[in-house]
Amino acid sequence: MAKGEIVIIDVNCRGCGFCQLFCPKDCITITGDRFSPLGYLLPTFTNQDQCNACGICAWMCPHLAIDVYRYAGKGAAKS
Amino acid sequence: MTRETQNKVKVTALDRILFMPVPGCPGCQHGTIGRIIAEVLEELELDGTAIEVIGIGCNSGVAMLNVDVVQGSHGGAPDTATAIKRLSPDSFVYTVQGDGDCIAIGAGSFIGALTRGELITIIMCNNANYGTTGGQLAPTTLSGQVTTTTPEGRNPAVSGHPVHVAELAATFKSVAYSARGALTSPAEYRRTKKYVKKAFQKQLDKIGLGYVEILSACPANWHLTPVDSIKWMEEHMIPEFPLGEFKDSDGKRNLPRDKQE
Repeated sequence: MAKGEIVIIDVNCRGCGFCQLFCPKDCITITGDRFSPLGYLLPTFTNQDQCNACGICAWMCPHLAIDVYRYAGKGAAKS
Repeated sequence: MTRETQNKVKVTALDRILFMPVPGCPGCQHGTIGRIIAEVLEELELDGTAIEVIGIGCNSGVAMLNVDVVQGSHGGAPDTATAIKRLSPDSFVYTVQGDGDCIAIGAGSFIGALTRGELITIIMCNNANYGTTGGQLAPTTLSGQVTTTTPEGRNPAVSGHPVHVAELAATFKSVAYSARGALTSPAEYRRTKKYVKKAFQKQLDKIGLGYVEILSACPANWHLTPVDSIKWMEEHMIPEFPLGEFKDSDGKRNLPRDKQE
């Protein structure tokens, strides 16, 4: 039951891996096959159903490359 | 209902951050420090009145906030902040400095501001070396740490022990608040944010100078991966620089004895 989702801003990402390290639900993985325009390894939002929109990845991202959205209203329970 | 049509609320909204690629090497945590400051400024509603004085160094990248920014001379950020605060006492002034800027070249300005107890807030980013110039020995470099100017590790017999700036600031009578935080985990992030907020509140309440030191990673100059540099901070930096609040004064003790309650 996903409670939210994240959006990774590719141009800001430097591929440091802090999002993968600190995500408590292991929702973010650096798969190694996606690259940013600057050539850094991009993370992927993989385990999407587990995301509870806590915002930790956005806090710990040093390059402000992650936005976190929480689903609002009745749709949150059905998604 | 599909994801696209659902109502979505941004939980990490920051209106006061200018969205641009943040400068810095991969894993450099100065952007996180900028985020903490932006969140605290939002919560305290200091829109339009905050003035940021930045020092010279990698911490200058924190100037991505949507506030008025002045860059002081190297080490002279507390002096510039003092001038701004004294000329417009209603403004909210804080400095963001690195360890080299704050306690090496700017040690005189820093100690002077602490002595006078200016109503400013000083935020110091401690990454245990000179990041901008390529990782030379800084006053906060740990004993035994390899830098470009200490290739065999810092030898305390030759270049001394690291300076504990938060403890030093706590010894000054006119300093209202002194704390040290780190950015090694989400819990420490929250704690550091609390310290920054308290230090800002000391200035708003006109109690005295607030000082917060933030341990941040510098993977490029430590020659570690970003993930390993977090582990290195936990294993080496935090035992040397203990975290916590060292002074939290309400200002009453700074008054002359006959005016104390």
